[in-house]
Amino acid sequence: MAVPPADFIGFACAYTPLPVIAAAGGAPYRVLPMTESPDQAGRMLHDNICPHVKRILDRAIDRDLPELRGMVFVNSCDAMRRLYDAWRRVDGAAPSVLIDLPPTADESAVAFFAGEIERLARTVESWCGRTIDRSKLSKAVEQHNVLCDRVDALTRRVEAGTLEGGWSRLQAALNLAATTPFDAALKHLDGLLGEAPADRRRASDPPIFLFGNVLPDPDAHALFEACGARIVGEDMCTGSRTFTRIDSDSTEDSCRLLAASLLRRPRCARTFDASDPGRMSQDVLDAVKRSGAKGAICHTVKFCDPYLVRLPLVREALQREGYPLLVLEGDCTLRSMGQHRTRIEAFAEMLR
Amino acid sequence: MLQQYFGELETGLLSAIRGSDGLVNPRKLYSLEVARLGKRLCSGTSPVAWCGITAPFDLLHSMGVTSSFVEFVGALLAVTGVAGAFIDTADQAGYSSDGCSYHRAVMGAASQGLMPEPAFLVGATNPCSGGLAAIECLARHYSRPLTVLHIPQDESGGNVAYLAQQIRVLAGFVTAHTGLPLDRDRLREAIENTNRTRAAMCEMYALAQRVPSPATSKDLSNFGVVLPLFLGSEAAVELACAYRDEFARRCAASPTTKKRETFRLMWIQNRIQFRQDLEKLLENEYKAVIVVDELNDVTWDEIDPEEPFEGLARRSISIPFNGTMERRVEHLQKLAREYRIDGAVSPCNWGCRQGTGARGLIQAGLEEIGVPVLNLEVDCVDDRKYTEGQVRTRVEAFVEMLHGRSSPWN
Repeated sequence: MAVPPADFIGFACAYTPLPVIAAAGGAPYRVLPMTESPDQAGRMLHDNICPHVKRILDRAIDRDLPELRGMVFVNSCDAMRRLYDAWRRVDGAAPSVLIDLPPTADESAVAFFAGEIERLARTVESWCGRTIDRSKLSKAVEQHNVLCDRVDALTRRVEAGTLEGGWSRLQAALNLAATTPFDAALKHLDGLLGEAPADRRRASDPPIFLFGNVLPDPDAHALFEACGARIVGEDMCTGSRTFTRIDSDSTEDSCRLLAASLLRRPRCARTFDASDPGRMSQDVLDAVKRSGAKGAICHTVKFCDPYLVRLPLVREALQREGYPLLVLEGDCTLRSMGQHRTRIEAFAEMLR
Repeated sequence: MLQQYFGELETGLLSAIRGSDGLVNPRKLYSLEVARLGKRLCSGTSPVAWCGITAPFDLLHSMGVTSSFVEFVGALLAVTGVAGAFIDTADQAGYSSDGCSYHRAVMGAASQGLMPEPAFLVGATNPCSGGLAAIECLARHYSRPLTVLHIPQDESGGNVAYLAQQIRVLAGFVTAHTGLPLDRDRLREAIENTNRTRAAMCEMYALAQRVPSPATSKDLSNFGVVLPLFLGSEAAVELACAYRDEFARRCAASPTTKKRETFRLMWIQNRIQFRQDLEKLLENEYKAVIVVDELNDVTWDEIDPEEPFEGLARRSISIPFNGTMERRVEHLQKLAREYRIDGAVSPCNWGCRQGTGARGLIQAGLEEIGVPVLNLEVDCVDDRKYTEGQVRTRVEAFVEMLHGRSSPWN
């Protein structure tokens, strides 16, 4: 029997409530900024907008996308809001919706975000022609959590050095899981988990914690290893952040639960606790310590204000405790990563 | 340093105003209020709050707090020609040179102890994520309490009530951290002042729309963005009335001003803050007058003094930089029609994602109604990056192009 084509619904941010898409029978498809499409986004957006956004727009202009029923944007930053504006001017682009994302996670913010998720649910229903009910949403949350558990298990394998291909292969698996319907994604992750343990431990290379936002190219992760940087933990938007568990509790309102889970997971540069400003720096420091790293590399796309403005605080916190930090700004291509090779090698050498 | 600067500025302006024989240029009154605000911020006589641009300054004023958005400081540093040194300080501390220079100048000034220490900080999600991040960093730097206003994208659903509740919470936050209570009578008085200011602004802008416009390129530079800092006070009312009355007087004498207005221009977003001759160049050499700035408009309704929080919320949501680009372009098109604009100038401030980011969409939106846009590429705060010759060449070409076009309004 032929498999019907998936009802792909695009998304671009790790804060997207993916189970809502799945509950409507859609398959979340992360529009990654990986493309051979020519640079055309500058027609609509300024060159000072982050390359993540520009590459996504280039893909839409160049029709370098699978057929999408719709596209979900999250108001996570100025650039993402401008992408939503530009997307709707692209001929043939899928219908789109922008949901607003509070910067904090207090009760009123959670209630507001729950309302936005409700609005998203109604929109996605209209795109997919199917209604979402409580049981469908619960099942979608369960499936999402199954994927998260697999990703978590796979990450443990990579950290232990027992998965052939290491971080590069994990990133490829994450990309696949973010762009493939649930069953196929699960099958692939299970396949990887079923592989016999490899022995990739390279104790001589210094352990490094990787954090930042958008770095989906598996070859970039291979480059870190080739430069002598042994990644022992990560926190990236295109890495494990997309696959964080969502609380499930049959007694609570589903959208509220989703909102609380997304807003209250470990903070990135986009969300913060107003009662503890600059907390992100301590969070990064804690993560570095937990991972056993000797230093940290932050990779952020160029022009990303939420990260770039907060990085001095992170650097200060790490330096205070003796952890060097290397900041790399990239444009979502391996070309820019290649230019960083010498810096990564020097950083790894310094940590030996 | 800042206190001395503002004190001398106030003294100088007062002297000039006294010597003007009753015919005071309202721009001088505007500068005087800027100086007085700066002096209050530095004086230590009342609690200071560093805020985002869309904070409810009239509410804070009614509670006895001297408040300002941080970009005000960035602009002042640029005006006084010292922003570069503070930007360098910020860059050396690790701030990216691709970031907004308003915020980098402020971060540098804070790290050097130049900025008055705040009692608390109020971040806002509108207009930009960079500004909110800067406020968070300042709160960390000063170890002072921070609260954040999440400004929804529009007024749909329960958005107004959501923001109104945040503003109520803000009032409680202010009391908790300063001991200053919210006095409903003082708030009512402040809101009434805001409404009087609003009414005078509406009349003033209506006058500025006339052909020829009574406004020169310099008259209302930064006015729409800075005036909210004075809202709630008598001074704001007097200032708006002074502009209205002066414009009415000029309109009555319009034959003498007609010659200088070959082209009517609209300035998009904020002006270039450091001293340069662009406005003079446009006016003197090309008779091209900036008759309106994007933020020189009243986009909000009168606020009900009995239900102030809802009105304050609506005002914050209404700002043209909030929401989708369609909304912003519609507003620019409205201004272009009202002011019969021949062309628009966008400085494209480097480092501004929310404003400059959609440059192409703004240009397309205005060209739809026949208004061409000159996109400059400048840093509005860092004068070291300003290349006068290049700007002049672009301006000359733009004006030449305008000469070859018929007005979109004939």
